[in-house]
Amino acid sequence: MRLLRELGIIGLSVSLGLGVGAIITAATGHSVPAVFRELALGAFSDVYRFANTLMRATPILFTSLSFLIAFRAGLFNIGAEGQLFIGGFFAAWAGFTFSLPPVLHLVVCLLFGAAVGGLWGFIPGWLRARRGANEFVTTMMLSYVAILLTQWFVSPGGPFHGGRMAARTVRIESTAELPRLLAGTQLSWGLLIAFIVALLVWYFLFRTPRGYELRAVGQRETAAEYGGVNVARTQILAMVLAGVLAGLGGAAEILGIHRGFTVGFSPGYGWDGIAGGLIARAHPIGAVFAALLMGALRAGGAGVDRAGVAPRDLVEVLQGLVILFVVAPELFRLVGRWRLRRRAHGRAQS
Amino acid sequence: MNERERSVRGEAVRMEGIVKRFPGVTANAGIDLSLNYGEVHGLLGENGAGKTVLMSVLYGLYRPSEGQIYLEGNPVSIDSPAVAIRAGIGMVHQHFMLVPRLTVADNMVVGWETSRGPFLDRKRIRKRIKELSEQYGLEVDPDSAVEELSVGEQQRVEILKALYRGAEVLILDEPTATLPEQEVEAFFTTIRAMRDEGKAMVFITHKLREALTICDRVTVLRKGEKVGTVPTTDATEAQLAEMMVGREVVFEVQRDRVASEGRPLLQVEGLSAVDDRNVPAVEGVDLTVHDHEILGVAGVQGNGQTELVEAICGLRSAVQGHVMLNGEAVTGSSPRKMAEAGLVHIPEDRHRRGLVLNFSVAENAILGRQYEAPFAIGHVGQSKRAIAGYARELVERFSVVVPGVRTPARALSGGNQQRVILARELDRKPKVIVAAQPTRGLDVAGIEFVWEQLLAMRREGAGILLVSMDLDELMTLADRLVVMYQGKLVGEHRPGETDKQQIGLLMLGGAVETS
Amino acid sequence: MDVLSLDLLVVALRLATPVAFVALGELFSERAGIINIGVEGSALAGALIAGIVAHYSGSAWLALAAAVGIGMLLGFIHAIWCVYLRANHVVAGAAVNILVAGLALFLTVLVWDWRGRSASVVSLDPWILVWLLLVLVVVAQVFLFRTRWGLRLRVVGEHPQAADTAGINVYRTRVAYSVLTGALCGLAGAFLVNNLGRFTAGMVGGRGFIGIAAMVVGNYKPIPAFLAAYLFGFVDALQMRLQDVIPSEISMMLPYVLTVIVLAGFLGKANVPAALGKPYIKEQG
Repeated sequence: MRLLRELGIIGLSVSLGLGVGAIITAATGHSVPAVFRELALGAFSDVYRFANTLMRATPILFTSLSFLIAFRAGLFNIGAEGQLFIGGFFAAWAGFTFSLPPVLHLVVCLLFGAAVGGLWGFIPGWLRARRGANEFVTTMMLSYVAILLTQWFVSPGGPFHGGRMAARTVRIESTAELPRLLAGTQLSWGLLIAFIVALLVWYFLFRTPRGYELRAVGQRETAAEYGGVNVARTQILAMVLAGVLAGLGGAAEILGIHRGFTVGFSPGYGWDGIAGGLIARAHPIGAVFAALLMGALRAGGAGVDRAGVAPRDLVEVLQGLVILFVVAPELFRLVGRWRLRRRAHGRAQS
Repeated sequence: MNERERSVRGEAVRMEGIVKRFPGVTANAGIDLSLNYGEVHGLLGENGAGKTVLMSVLYGLYRPSEGQIYLEGNPVSIDSPAVAIRAGIGMVHQHFMLVPRLTVADNMVVGWETSRGPFLDRKRIRKRIKELSEQYGLEVDPDSAVEELSVGEQQRVEILKALYRGAEVLILDEPTATLPEQEVEAFFTTIRAMRDEGKAMVFITHKLREALTICDRVTVLRKGEKVGTVPTTDATEAQLAEMMVGREVVFEVQRDRVASEGRPLLQVEGLSAVDDRNVPAVEGVDLTVHDHEILGVAGVQGNGQTELVEAICGLRSAVQGHVMLNGEAVTGSSPRKMAEAGLVHIPEDRHRRGLVLNFSVAENAILGRQYEAPFAIGHVGQSKRAIAGYARELVERFSVVVPGVRTPARALSGGNQQRVILARELDRKPKVIVAAQPTRGLDVAGIEFVWEQLLAMRREGAGILLVSMDLDELMTLADRLVVMYQGKLVGEHRPGETDKQQIGLLMLGGAVETS
Repeated sequence: MDVLSLDLLVVALRLATPVAFVALGELFSERAGIINIGVEGSALAGALIAGIVAHYSGSAWLALAAAVGIGMLLGFIHAIWCVYLRANHVVAGAAVNILVAGLALFLTVLVWDWRGRSASVVSLDPWILVWLLLVLVVVAQVFLFRTRWGLRLRVVGEHPQAADTAGINVYRTRVAYSVLTGALCGLAGAFLVNNLGRFTAGMVGGRGFIGIAAMVVGNYKPIPAFLAAYLFGFVDALQMRLQDVIPSEISMMLPYVLTVIVLAGFLGKANVPAALGKPYIKEQG
């Protein structure tokens, strides 16, 4: 019952966001039916387009999980974009530097991405827990640092520049590649890894003592402290895990799709993760569906662009609006209360 | 003071048929109240009788669901405190509405500033405050920060704040609740001075004796309804008490004397700690709690009790001193270690510490034991079934009224929340219980339950450190009584051999100064 | 002092200006009890609208006004979300940032047919805005500590209930100062456009967040917050010189790294408003 109501509110919020988006679409002189039609077609019309949706949903699922695990501990990781970059780069580095047997090499690369991402989460976690530094500022700042750092690594003149003109590394060894899931598409096994990780995050949060402690810290630090939880350590753990998840996402993206690190690999998946985590109400299973929605918007956006009915960036606007309404569940409760009050008022008068 | 002068100005406020409904509760069910100038009008009733709600309606904090307010005979609609202030109504809240970091002067004038153009006219403000404090004998330094003031001084600031705004009608919400007994007399002098000035005052209290001492008339509320208004000249304590509770309530507490073996369970030596602002709050405290014993710690709020309890329970690091549990040094141990060593803590603030309000009752039932089998399966699992089963067992054994163990703790009443905490902590079979304000805000049944549980634990041999501001509670339960004053423990008493007056004096540091 | 370093100090002032505008804006919000990380997006929106209005109207002054206006609108939305809809402040701010980032790409495509940048537009002398900033900083300092409205603002952020019982409308105060925050962010954005003569989607580039950091380091006081912002401007100016010596990506990290270090080393949490980020729920019926 509570779940249903919650889902109803999320559905309403998403619709309201898309509704306001439709107004903007019309106001900027685009055809609303055409845009939404191409959006749907681009995301779902055939197996290749749907694969495209899934492909885009994969990194978003990782970053959504990253955001929500920190959120569950009462912290804000808004630097997933940078963790994605740094994780992706080091996965690629392990991919072209080491020579290892097939499966092992892949695992090592994924772990490398996860570990460096975790390090990138550890810094703001430690600073928050021990020095009281705002993690939403520090994660953001470190995100810029990570992006600039990896940009420099692969820029012409940088130490890992491997393309001719393009800012990218050399290709990773084939032993490090994450295989494609569907021939003829870019969809890789990263999707399955993401699903499994989502389940693991759910299990961790709701079926382990550490997850319990993490949620307790997020709900009320003082009560958690009273309950024997080491608050600082738990906060650091949450941020490390957030970094690990985003770093793993970057690794899966690079190893599965680009097969070498390139600076343009993310159109803002880190930001999409905030949206995904929030739409999912910070629930890992919900995040799977939220990531699919976000992925569909991205894939559909490409369709809108291809069909020439509107610029693809319209979907970024739609996405922003959806988030804006999703984060204000009170909106519907308020509307409900107004209606109740008006009804009561009407009765009093009659 | 002459009757004639009072009656000249006549009726200040009349409230007629005030109804205030909240979702699920009717806090005020058609209450009439009349208040005259030059009168102190007592508003008497138990917790939850609707006294504060009624006055919040008068002060514009709540809008009444029904009813009408008249000021000097004219119907008015008071829909915000701003309107109330402009109409000459002031309210001194039980929890002071002061910003600790700002100065007395800033706190007093905010919202009603004396300014020159856009700028605060601090010179004139200071002058006006000085005039007022001299007129009413309320001495304060306008330039000191409120956080440096004692409770009594803060109350003076609150009263001056209302007077500064030109209040002719003054609502005092349980003004003596946090006031040490010895400051009450001086406070009453101020009230009399204001009455002689012709101010109309409502004095909210649940203390009968005070109501009879200071008030001219008393209105008694019970469960949101008005029981009646009586002049204090005709009233007796017994009569008012019956009006308040509707029946005679006497707690029968079974205090079978169990002889302590004199085995010290909790020993605290020279313990010092600082508060959140790094100011020393506990200074060199020594105390010992034996088996089969309740040691009571009395004191006015804010004398270091919170910090003492937290330092003992591992929630605050000690600057100096030792804590021994059952003969073993445990100073500086984490709360988890303390609990494992046999010390549990009933925290003073249920919502801040005792419960995770958004967690279910089941989840709260294992707070502090989340890593123990059978609730945890190693580090990697948690048994929902074991947790729910255990929670159900606790709910049953401690008669918690709750729809189910998956209900969030937030949805429980205060009494049931406290039962969950007690159940969880006492079920750990502790040797030592540190109970801080365990009955604060509870109704009669809740208080009775907590007392019974603590006495049962004592019978079974536990040592209990009971920190309370309720002197009656301490006199009833404690075997020995110490008083905490400004971070130190002063005097030790056996409740049977001391009277409340003496303890009250100690709570103010009286004995320290006279000796 | 040789000419080169004097020049550096002047450049630093220019680079510090948008950061300081945001810092000043955030200060008003947080003093009222609202955390606004949407300042990054509000500044970007200010720049975007300034660019668009300048493009169509050819008036740099109109563009400036429009930038302030859009900032106010976003500040208003943020306040409604935080005050009335009880959204989490950080989350609501993040939503504003994401929305504006999308709009910046979308609208540049529509207006100039370039993704994320504009053609050059008419601009004012950016020094006008620098001087305006300096005046505003001093005014803010006096306003906050010497006027009745400043006193009310501080009480609203510290103890909303006390403000309420003193007859101050907490909700309205919070909304009003959030709108002011938006206006100042709009000025930050307008400055960036007037400084560069065009709009680019990356032109704010974290300066909003750095502004928040500057405000924290400045201990919630206008003049110290400005000085902290100036420090960031100085490092920014320095890193531009360094680009001849070390790779630009590395030197560009400097302001971000500095922000992290300064926040980590800064423990004076003395002035954080007590009710910051907490919704004030007025019981009513």
